[in-house]
Amino acid sequence: MRFFDPHIHVTSRTTDDLENMAAAGVRAVIEPAFWVGQPRTTLGAFTDYFSSLIGWERFRASQFGISHYCAIGLNSKEANNEGLAREVLEIVPRFALKEGVVAIGEIGFDEITAAEEFAYTEQVQFARQNDMVVMVHSPHRDKKRGIVRSLEIARDLGFPMEKLVIDHNNEETVEDTLEFGAWAAFTIYPHTKMGSERMCEIVKKYGPERLIVDSSADWGVSDPLSVPKTAKLMLERGLSPEAVELTTWQNALDAYAQSGQIDVEALLQKPPIDQTQLYADNSVLRGQAPRVEAVPN
Amino acid sequence: MSSYLVLRQMLESRLTQPSRKWLKAVGAEIADGVTDTRFCGLLSLASRHARDSVALEPGEKELEAANRTVEGWNPERWTLLESLRVVIVLSRSDLSEESAHLAIEEGFRYADEGELRGLYRSLALLPDPERFTWRAGEGCRTNMRSVFEAVALDTPFPARYFDDVAWKQAVIKCIFIGAPLWRLWGLDTRLSADLARMALDLADERRSAGRTVQHELWLCLGPHLDGRAMASLEQELDPGNSHTLGRRAAAYALARGERTDRLEELIKSEKIPSVRAAMEDALAGSTASSAFRALYHH
Repeated sequence: MRFFDPHIHVTSRTTDDLENMAAAGVRAVIEPAFWVGQPRTTLGAFTDYFSSLIGWERFRASQFGISHYCAIGLNSKEANNEGLAREVLEIVPRFALKEGVVAIGEIGFDEITAAEEFAYTEQVQFARQNDMVVMVHSPHRDKKRGIVRSLEIARDLGFPMEKLVIDHNNEETVEDTLEFGAWAAFTIYPHTKMGSERMCEIVKKYGPERLIVDSSADWGVSDPLSVPKTAKLMLERGLSPEAVELTTWQNALDAYAQSGQIDVEALLQKPPIDQTQLYADNSVLRGQAPRVEAVPN
Repeated sequence: MSSYLVLRQMLESRLTQPSRKWLKAVGAEIADGVTDTRFCGLLSLASRHARDSVALEPGEKELEAANRTVEGWNPERWTLLESLRVVIVLSRSDLSEESAHLAIEEGFRYADEGELRGLYRSLALLPDPERFTWRAGEGCRTNMRSVFEAVALDTPFPARYFDDVAWKQAVIKCIFIGAPLWRLWGLDTRLSADLARMALDLADERRSAGRTVQHELWLCLGPHLDGRAMASLEQELDPGNSHTLGRRAAAYALARGERTDRLEELIKSEKIPSVRAAMEDALAGSTASSAFRALYHH
């Protein structure tokens, strides 16, 4: 099977992970801009980070047969450093309109502060003006209220709900998200947000329409193979292959292809692996023989 | 006596002779005025004179003296190195002035994990601590539990200076990451219906996910035991709930919400000794958040 992991921070993952992902069938990923585990203190740190998402990271993933798209935005936590946040909001448009940027994201709420609301509102407006998709991060604490707030703000700004993806849903939030008409994404983490078993139950209960499975794998304990593993479990638990295909491939593709930044036909072809390529004279190889072949699935 | 003197005296008996000598020299240097680079350098150099693996271990009298200088300041769990860094900060003679504010912010900007803890621990002891409210809020957004605890626990800072949003986030974050909430000073003075609602939402999330509810979550209800809160507590107290720690904590929550009538009913049929003991203790009047300290020793 082929899979689309529409939320993974591959910059924090190794080449072993990329190889394993490709072997397990992960054909495409979206890497949303987020915080890097601790607060950045300068605009330059953001500039270089955004630049790496559309540059080196895209190249690196391609070397393993994985199509890499990204989302650009100011995350909620760092929205609270208001001076720096305003500077970042000014450079977001410089990156957000680049080729392969499929959404503004991940943006939203962390502590549900006024500063976070300002940054979220500004970025949703920018997305609306530029006909973009928005990927919304939902908070760990006070999650339900955070999700409803982000849905309400988008709706009140006249943002089309079919271009809004609310991420990190759980059993308590999925109904609100679906009722508003947005896409409901679920992060499969081994211990916290959502486990594969629970995901199966949710797909059984609500049906596969507008539900999206992702890994959000990052620098923490997380699993870059969450999407293929969950697909396997869904099949074992008796969900139809169509439901599995929708929640682990097609829905994400439909949601983010609205950006016009995914060449769907090219993606449907088996991507070649060609490690003889260089990026600004740099290779991902360290003296190994380059692989030139088709992806294994 | 000032916080500075209390801490300085504690260090006198705990530092080695060469380190005492060093502290005396740099204390005088700082008081005379140092550049921000030198100030930050001294915060780093402190690690050559005290270890983070050594606890300060203040005695009872020392803890009392500390609490007298700033109510809610509790260095019971400070390390020796954290304490030395706080003394370095407090050695400045310009603490009320903008120059100190800027220097301390520089310290935060270039700090490593240990320096962050030392700097955050110093905030409540500074003049006009509210100058650092944004900074402390930033500290609470950390992913490092050690840093979060240095900002939030054993200090009066959050209860005194955080706005409503930051305060409730700090409380719920304690539960979320497993930082002992009973050590959040002033919790019982800032309970609210909305905080109880956030806690109950979290309990629902945990149960929907098939997970146990963190026992300290029940501290957040306080007097706000409406129908929803009671239903959630009853579910926790159910004899079929194998999470005994949660049942014990829920017993305290009933007493905290003045529902001793319900507690008296429940105790009649309670079979598990540790739950019974918690119910008896709660009925005997252990209703402050500090009562939860005992729940960590079993």
